[in-house]
Amino acid sequence: MKYFRDEFDTLINSNKNENDKLTMLRKKSFEVFMESGLPTSKWEDWRFTNFSSIKNGSFRLSSLKDFDGVPKVLPGRIPNTHLVLIVNGRYQPDLSDVPKEIAITSGAEHFKSYSEFYSLESMQLNWSKGLNPFYTLNTSMMDSGLSLRVEDNAIISKPIQIIYLTTSTANEIMNHPRFVFHAGSNSQATLVEHYLGYMTNSYFNNPVTMIELDNNSFMNHIRIQEETGNSHHVANTFYKLNRESTLNVNSASFGSLLYRHNINLKFCGNNSSADYSALSLAKQKQHHDQHIIVEHASDACLSNQLFKYILSDDSSGVFNGKVVVEENTKRTNASQSNKNLVLSPSALMNANPQLEIYAEDVKCSHGSTTGQIDPEALFYLKSRGLNHEKSMELIMNGFISDIIELVKNENVGDYLNEIAAQQLEKILI
Amino acid sequence: MLEIKNLHAGVKGKAILDGLNLKVNPGELHAIMGRNGSGKSTLANIITGRENYEITSGEVRFNGKDLEEMAPEDRALEGIFMSFQYPVVIPGVNNTYFLRAALNAKLKHYEKKEINAADFMHLIREKLKLVNMDEKYLSRAVNDGFSGGEKKRNEILQMLTLEPKLSILDETDSGLDIDALKIVAKGVNNFRDSSRSFIAITHYQRLLEYMEPDFIHVLINGKIVKSGDISLAQEIEQKGYSWLES
Repeated sequence: MKYFRDEFDTLINSNKNENDKLTMLRKKSFEVFMESGLPTSKWEDWRFTNFSSIKNGSFRLSSLKDFDGVPKVLPGRIPNTHLVLIVNGRYQPDLSDVPKEIAITSGAEHFKSYSEFYSLESMQLNWSKGLNPFYTLNTSMMDSGLSLRVEDNAIISKPIQIIYLTTSTANEIMNHPRFVFHAGSNSQATLVEHYLGYMTNSYFNNPVTMIELDNNSFMNHIRIQEETGNSHHVANTFYKLNRESTLNVNSASFGSLLYRHNINLKFCGNNSSADYSALSLAKQKQHHDQHIIVEHASDACLSNQLFKYILSDDSSGVFNGKVVVEENTKRTNASQSNKNLVLSPSALMNANPQLEIYAEDVKCSHGSTTGQIDPEALFYLKSRGLNHEKSMELIMNGFISDIIELVKNENVGDYLNEIAAQQLEKILI
Repeated sequence: MLEIKNLHAGVKGKAILDGLNLKVNPGELHAIMGRNGSGKSTLANIITGRENYEITSGEVRFNGKDLEEMAPEDRALEGIFMSFQYPVVIPGVNNTYFLRAALNAKLKHYEKKEINAADFMHLIREKLKLVNMDEKYLSRAVNDGFSGGEKKRNEILQMLTLEPKLSILDETDSGLDIDALKIVAKGVNNFRDSSRSFIAITHYQRLLEYMEPDFIHVLINGKIVKSGDISLAQEIEQKGYSWLES
């Protein structure tokens, strides 16, 4: 843990001309973080995930020196999208192409101008369950990221692909990016938040993403986690939906040795809807842990969740999903489904779907199933002349196909389909 | 085509077939009749290579090759096909994609050129007509949301597409109404020729009314106790099985 103190001191010293409010916020957040420490197995919501590799590691904050150019062929590029590129925490405006209807501000500028937005008090007020050590750590050291605001009434047809690329550096680095995505009233946009590792040594990314949908806006948020297999990725994402807004999220996680994602989604206006789907493919010793809380605090809102995991080798998965329906809300409709395919006897899944309902006018469903490849299905395919690998490939692709079909943009869907197929191929070897 | 000699076999250590002999020549349709538990499905599972089914003694040869050591997919590639009693639902796997993959596996096995998607669509549309199936089934997942009759017709569609040498029809008549039964029987009859063989496993004579079996065999307690022509099936229909039990 000592390295956090050292890195924090360096950050404060090198940012002496930062405004006081921000410095105060950093200091206060860091105090809160150091007091709590990293979550341990004794913390109810964190007990299946072991953070000792972060605790005992030694990651230094990335600096300007860590940027030595961009790979010749940028990996992970999805065709027919706008590009926003960040390399080792550094935003690359010259290599980015942002449509004019989007106001983009680098994190550093945004923290200065809107420091009250980032205050712990405002966080506490809106997201009482969202304050956790990784959030406070991010707030104390947030050093990169972007604020994107889609103008009111703007309809942006091409997706914006935000690539957060981590490339090889001399030491093991960490980054605490902070993203703010804001969809103005009546706007429509597709944002791809894409984490991509392009290096061999270990690193630690700890992003926080705040997403707000104004009245009657529509947002497609695609989150792709393709960090390298020995990295650490801990993320906090917050969605706030105002009146008559529509959110569609497709999350896909393939990388990281240690992956933990806390998702908080809150309906703050009537007649809004959110569909959240997440696909997680883990192999070898990867650990994928996703916690989601969907809070129905307004009337006539609709939420659907679908989480699917395929676990092979010695990998492990955690799904913890909670739907909270607040008192006095009306006509809530919420569903939650979790399906897991466990391919090896040493892979492990922990699933915990929960409902907390404090209102009467509610339609809710939830369920979770974990199983192995159906031997009957396997025999059926083989009896038609398909070999073991091809049969397994068909069954696994079939298992994830409904998730892929939920991706509304064809280019993004094709990309995910291809990456998923490559991952499944690796699993089969 | 298929030669079974003194076959003793069972599932998970439980003995079921008790010295079964059967020879099926090219072009022949053999019907195997018997009560539940007589060993009919075990015979089908032994021929197709389902997991946990084991030969304890005797042998099963297909075109001279010993089947015991062959994987199910290799038996299929060699030309063995089973129409399942309970066709399996495979969620998310497109029916057309699956069937083309299966056909291509077979073409590849015989070192023939694989069929492209457009040619396959042309082929499959022709086959669909033979079993009165709507094109909408092509875009569905394998057997997903199919009624009992649709599943059985889908099995026959697969048979017509993959063109096996030996087709085992395991209780293909069960769960079919008379119209569906006629369609299935017509599909099989049109497919018959001097080089293809069939084994139809059934409880009842019903299916056999629409096909022309060359031989009827009665299976009791894991043995063929009587063989004959279609008149044997008619006799069983009237008298049941008990007169054949010793």
